Amino acid sequence: MKHSDRMEERKQYRIIVPVIALLTLLCMFLPFVKWEAGGISYTGFSLLKECFEKDAYLTKTLGNGTVTKSVSLYGLYRVVLLVPVIACVFAAILPIISHRRSFYRIVSVLSALSLLSFLVVLFSIAKKMNALGLCSELFMVKNLCFGYWLGLILSLVSIVAAMKATKTSPAYIILITMSIIWILPILWVILTSFRGESGSYTPYFWPKSFTVDNYVKLFTETDQFYFLRWFLNTFIVAICSCIISTFYVLSTAYVFSRLRFKVRKLFMNVLLILGMFPGFMSMIAVYYILKGLGLSQSLAALVLVYSGGAALTYYIAKGFFDTIPKALDEAAIIDGATRWGVFTKITIPLSKPIIIYTILTSFTAPWMDFIFAKVIMGDDYANYTVALGLWTMLQKEFITTWYTRFAAGAVVVSIPIALLFIVMQKYYVEGLSGSVKG
Amino acid sequence: MGRKKQGNVVGKNVSSKNSEKLQNPFKVIKDVFKDGDIVTKLSFLILGFGNLCRGQIVKGMLYLLMECGFIFYLFTFGAAALGKLVSLGTVQQSKVYNETTGIYDVIKGDNSMLCLLYGVTAAVIILLFLCIWYSGIKSALKVQELKNSKKKIPGFVDDIKSLFDQGAHKTLLFLPSMGLLVFTIMPLIFMFLMAFTNFDSDHQPPGNLFTWVGMKNFRTILLSGEKIGKTFWPIFGWTLIWAVFATFLNYIFGMLLAILINKKEIKLKKLWRTIFVLSIAVPLFVSLLAIHLILADSGSLNILLQELGFIDKALPFWTDATWARVTVIIVNLWVGIPHTMLITTGILMNIPSDLYESAKIDGAGPATIFFKITLPYMLFVTTPYLITQFISNINNFNVIYFLSAGAPLTVDYYKGAGKTDLLVTWLYKLTVDNKDYCYAATIGILIFVICSTFSLLTYRRTNSYKNEEGFQ
Repeated sequence: MKHSDRMEERKQYRIIVPVIALLTLLCMFLPFVKWEAGGISYTGFSLLKECFEKDAYLTKTLGNGTVTKSVSLYGLYRVVLLVPVIACVFAAILPIISHRRSFYRIVSVLSALSLLSFLVVLFSIAKKMNALGLCSELFMVKNLCFGYWLGLILSLVSIVAAMKATKTSPAYIILITMSIIWILPILWVILTSFRGESGSYTPYFWPKSFTVDNYVKLFTETDQFYFLRWFLNTFIVAICSCIISTFYVLSTAYVFSRLRFKVRKLFMNVLLILGMFPGFMSMIAVYYILKGLGLSQSLAALVLVYSGGAALTYYIAKGFFDTIPKALDEAAIIDGATRWGVFTKITIPLSKPIIIYTILTSFTAPWMDFIFAKVIMGDDYANYTVALGLWTMLQKEFITTWYTRFAAGAVVVSIPIALLFIVMQKYYVEGLSGSVKG
Repeated sequence: MGRKKQGNVVGKNVSSKNSEKLQNPFKVIKDVFKDGDIVTKLSFLILGFGNLCRGQIVKGMLYLLMECGFIFYLFTFGAAALGKLVSLGTVQQSKVYNETTGIYDVIKGDNSMLCLLYGVTAAVIILLFLCIWYSGIKSALKVQELKNSKKKIPGFVDDIKSLFDQGAHKTLLFLPSMGLLVFTIMPLIFMFLMAFTNFDSDHQPPGNLFTWVGMKNFRTILLSGEKIGKTFWPIFGWTLIWAVFATFLNYIFGMLLAILINKKEIKLKKLWRTIFVLSIAVPLFVSLLAIHLILADSGSLNILLQELGFIDKALPFWTDATWARVTVIIVNLWVGIPHTMLITTGILMNIPSDLYESAKIDGAGPATIFFKITLPYMLFVTTPYLITQFISNINNFNVIYFLSAGAPLTVDYYKGAGKTDLLVTWLYKLTVDNKDYCYAATIGILIFVICSTFSLLTYRRTNSYKNEEGFQ
């Protein structure tokens, strides 16, 4: 009963979806509109044909002597645009026969594909025509690629209609668009890391040649920068400072959450005030103190600095400890446990999420911090951490040779951190929401 | 004697409010002096004497040792260091022509920087010793009272044991507070004092001396019409605008994203979240430097748009003040939205669903529901988060420094400061690039004043602060 109801509902789309698909197909044959001084002129297929012919000629002459890698424009046009759009039209006929949900699904997927192909063709034809000198002016704005723009919009409408028919939330469109925006810079770094051409700026997104050389050179070429060593440095610092900070944070949080002593409120207020100074305001003083201790330009100094102020971030863990019932502690104390025993045998085993959160944040900090590493290490390249090292690669004197290797290094650093984050996501969120409630 | 009672209560009653009251230390000292017998009174001079006389040998010896060590330090280094703290050095480094070798010999003068550092260290050590001394005389009185009332006097082993029980806070807090003292408090005092000197690029030790100048730096920055003053106020204004936009836009859009993903009909919720979490997981400086390069004048985006004919010349992402400011705010959305999304997801699920249902029955649209139910509820729960976010945005070094590095730079501003510089990035530039430490320290103090005013005004009013033990 319910099933047929939904079928009935879908019925109203059986006309509109194929119509839109047909219109999209038509758009491909719409003329190019050329905007000239005299007015609008339609160049129609003649321009496109000319473009194909010239392109074929170009490929041929180049192909005579040398090897050419460029794809023929006609081939591109046929495969990229025609196939999805025609497939879309065929798929759009299906709903006329039956109102199955899956048919509409197919339509929406194919429409998405044709949307993509319209985009590709819009950009590639524009580039190609400029390169061939068929359009003296810039193509996309001044000479409207009218049909393709319309096709782009129509395939978007087609997606929406098909989604409406299957009652799929239009929120997916927003989510997909946002995901693309969020992934693009990351993708760009990954692509750059495999780029064969050196240099910092490239006017194109997709590299012309791919290579793993950047990775190999990053690890093997050690005369100027020693990336492997930086990586190990950071790893050691991260492990040490993470152990020390976790101990500091947990014990401070436990003391303020459970023990009551005279200076407790005073201590908490002092920590609150200290937390309000910008963290690196005193970096110069820290540097001189470390120098006084004979520790400057060493990894131990970094460990001390990263973990030294850890107690300031106790409040998230304290908020968590506050939620552990006090009755547990009291029962244990009546049974003869000491405060220390309560801390190690009751509180710690019950606080897995917050411990993991603390470990996670303190482990990742040295991978990302650059200020203290820079102040403490100065120009001692051997003791750099990855963040500082990668940043140095982007300085004016290194950027042209080291740019693609910077991207490779960034990928190498990001992978372990990203994996950690994704695996531990649950705990991270728990810790963060602990901080929200204050 | 209230104090005696409290001493016992500390160990036994875990949540006693009574034990948290802080006494006036001077009154305690007076009381100890009044109640103490001759041995206790002698402990004022010879620390640990009371403990030694009454059987707590090890404890007494430790106190005595610390006093000896302190006196030794004071006479060898401490006093001199304190003396130099007042003058910050008097002998300037100079060069004298040496006729036999034919070159100028450098005659070492005072290093004001080290004078200040050693002075601060001496002051901290003296303060620490005063605390030890205070606990020493209190312990002398305690042991006297125990003796008089014929109770068992705890030996050294008992003391150690109590450090894991009644005194566990001392054990647990010792290392963290040492870390704080050396790497946070001492440097802060040091920088704090630096704000009252003229330690700028013209007064760099060891070549030159610097000295105390009182409130002059504050006057120059806040009140004078000098270039540095003309830099401070615009940067301060921009910092506030930035903090407001960065906080609230991230908050609203992040929440909308969370609502979108939380919708019933959305499938693969985990996948969507993971996509956005990915941008948190990639180290911030990597993604920000990448975005900086993409948006540069000859970067990918500009060249692509130019080739396709949308624009004639490069969009001035980092070269025009307004463009740069809008760009950093928008890119910051890229950084901040996933964070807010993660945080608000859980809280959004806690909103009672009957609220939504009744709103729907009354015919409220999605916008009305958002502004009348979701937003007020979220604001109620997450006010502390918003405050901390606001403050961390005022101090948001990473986003600005890696993204625009303060660009576009302008000659209207003090050396090297740019139109998108926040107070913190300016502070960093003043310290690292210009070596104007005294101005940097002054700005650090001003940032602290701004942040603490904001938090005190708002944070103290929140429930979580007022009612700390509320839900225990």
